[in-house]
Amino acid sequence: MYLLSRRAPHCFALRSKAWGRARTLESAVGVLILLILVATAVGIYFVQRDYNMSRFGITSEQESGGDFLPVGKAETYNTDNLYEKIDGKAPMYQEAGFVKLTTQRFAAKSDSELGFELYIYDMNNAKNAFSVYSRQKRADATDLSDLGAPASPDSLASRGGSVFGYVAGNAICISLGKNYIEMIGSAESNELVDGMKGIAKDLSAKFKPTDKDKIAELGYFPTACGEQGRTEGTVAGSWKLQIDNAFGFDGLTNAYSALYKSGDKTVSIFFSRRKNADEAKTVAKNYYDFLITNGAKAVTVDSEILKSAGASVVDFYGAFEMVFSTGVFVGGVHEADNKQAAEKAAEVLIGRLKEIND
Amino acid sequence: MTEPNQINPPDVGRINSARRQLLIRGAKAAASIAAAVGVARWLYDPKGLGAKKVPDTFFGEVKGLPDFSVPRKDGQVISIVQGQDRAKTASKAIELLGGIERFISPGDIVVIKPNVGFATPSILGATTHPDVITAVVKLCYEKGKAKKVIVTDNSINDPASCFTISGISKAASAAGAEVVMPKDSYFSPLTLEGGSLIKDWPVYCAPFAKANKLIGIAPLKNHHRSAASMTMKNWYGLLGGRRNVFHQDINNIIAELAMLIKPTLVILDGTVTMMTNGPTGGSVSDLKKTNTMIASCDMVAADAFGSSLLNLKPADLPYLSIAEKAGVGAVDYESLKPLRAEVI
Repeated sequence: MYLLSRRAPHCFALRSKAWGRARTLESAVGVLILLILVATAVGIYFVQRDYNMSRFGITSEQESGGDFLPVGKAETYNTDNLYEKIDGKAPMYQEAGFVKLTTQRFAAKSDSELGFELYIYDMNNAKNAFSVYSRQKRADATDLSDLGAPASPDSLASRGGSVFGYVAGNAICISLGKNYIEMIGSAESNELVDGMKGIAKDLSAKFKPTDKDKIAELGYFPTACGEQGRTEGTVAGSWKLQIDNAFGFDGLTNAYSALYKSGDKTVSIFFSRRKNADEAKTVAKNYYDFLITNGAKAVTVDSEILKSAGASVVDFYGAFEMVFSTGVFVGGVHEADNKQAAEKAAEVLIGRLKEIND
Repeated sequence: MTEPNQINPPDVGRINSARRQLLIRGAKAAASIAAAVGVARWLYDPKGLGAKKVPDTFFGEVKGLPDFSVPRKDGQVISIVQGQDRAKTASKAIELLGGIERFISPGDIVVIKPNVGFATPSILGATTHPDVITAVVKLCYEKGKAKKVIVTDNSINDPASCFTISGISKAASAAGAEVVMPKDSYFSPLTLEGGSLIKDWPVYCAPFAKANKLIGIAPLKNHHRSAASMTMKNWYGLLGGRRNVFHQDINNIIAELAMLIKPTLVILDGTVTMMTNGPTGGSVSDLKKTNTMIASCDMVAADAFGSSLLNLKPADLPYLSIAEKAGVGAVDYESLKPLRAEVI
């Protein structure tokens, strides 16, 4: 009894203290939740309000060189609803790291029927942007040299390739840092192309690529055809980057490819940089196995250089495929019509990749 | 005497009170959860989007898609016409199959399903060309004596812009057709018997409720996912909901749509073919003049021929053989003895 009577007030005090602490904790949690809700609301407000194009460097005075005006509001799409805008092409962007698409229509002041739509794809990084740019590049494209588009792999190596652009009929396409940009005109018109070039310059000024946007790998290709009077070499501007599933093989990722011209023959060469030489060997072997599994027939390698490099050549339903590894690189030739041309290009590519390895 | 471990009466009272409070709060929380579950169950619609909104006051109730096909005539299944003028080649292609009168009877209500998937101008070839719409609508009215022609598609991104910018709205209206834009209430959940993908999936049905003929008109395009977009892929536009999920199984969904929809006639416009960067394209550089118009009662045959204009083989399009096995049509279009002509 004595003990209890001594302890009871102490217990009550402890309980009161505990309840007080609980109340304080509850209040703190409540305030925290409210703060999170307020922060979320503010975040949503800032995202939603940003519907004008000024954040892309297109001011009301500059809009499309002054001859074109925006029509309606800018629209944004994310990974969940990208298909609503581009339907069946959405997976290609999503697989390449797509983050967000912003679109805006423009119409000529003089003719409302004449206009274009601007698409700005945020691809998260420059390689992703270059991948979707290069995979869609039109065959008859004219490079936009005034955007700083590179002329050759060599100049890329020294300057850093991070800005690429071309005009193809009614369209202008640009890879600019992490953004892939398309401007799709409603007609083939010089006035329209000039207007789109105005926007392209605004965008280039706004999104100046940094060193991290440099795609140094483009400089790993052999010297360009036409450079320093060369009659054979890499065809400048033919570069492509496949982030994954290159040539239908899911084990071949981050594969850079380009056309290589030798005499009257042109073949497609490729390489992929791996973590280490062992991984490069494994990927090369797996790719070879993939080809054989899918019906390719092994073919004798004639070139001593290629033999010593352990290269494999297969006949894949009438086209020659070649694969090798050298140091950290997997390389090869894809869909060549001519075996001699394929071997010659592969020899040059191996030589170049060995230089990089060294 | 109270033992050391015992609690004195005032404490017992407080503890009992706290226990009561706990039980009351627990009961309230349980009641709230039960109420939320009950409301959710009450609101849950197992039939999916729009199921309770049909019937629509305009179109009436739709419980599925009827069979719109007409009796087959051997030797008049597929026609291939060369030429640049879409109105002429489309008319000729239909004429070779027996004329529009074979397909459209006086008083018919005809639905034309073009590809209006994108808000892009017709020069890009991503949507059905308005000239073909004009030609077919006119044929339906003038020679077929149709009572009504409806032109519709489920353009998911801003239908009004898609129909306007593609030029289809203007062309269809000018030719006397009624242009119908999609609404949520126009979708009904459908299931393809024996199908693995189309199960209780919202399908754009209402505009077909009172129709008795269906003509599909598709452009000929490269497609990033399915390699080609032609008459069978055109039905993809009838899918509602988050239809992008089917991109992961594109060949089967195209084949299942071809099993679900039995059109009167399909027209494949290969006057210009989008060879690259489909299905949106974007540059005229993606296009090639192929000057060919195909009309067919057999969409598998039409698409099998169409693949050649894309420099593909029918074997490159797995959905063709899947549909053939399901009895939709014939991949070997030559066996159907295509009727050929050239229009200058």
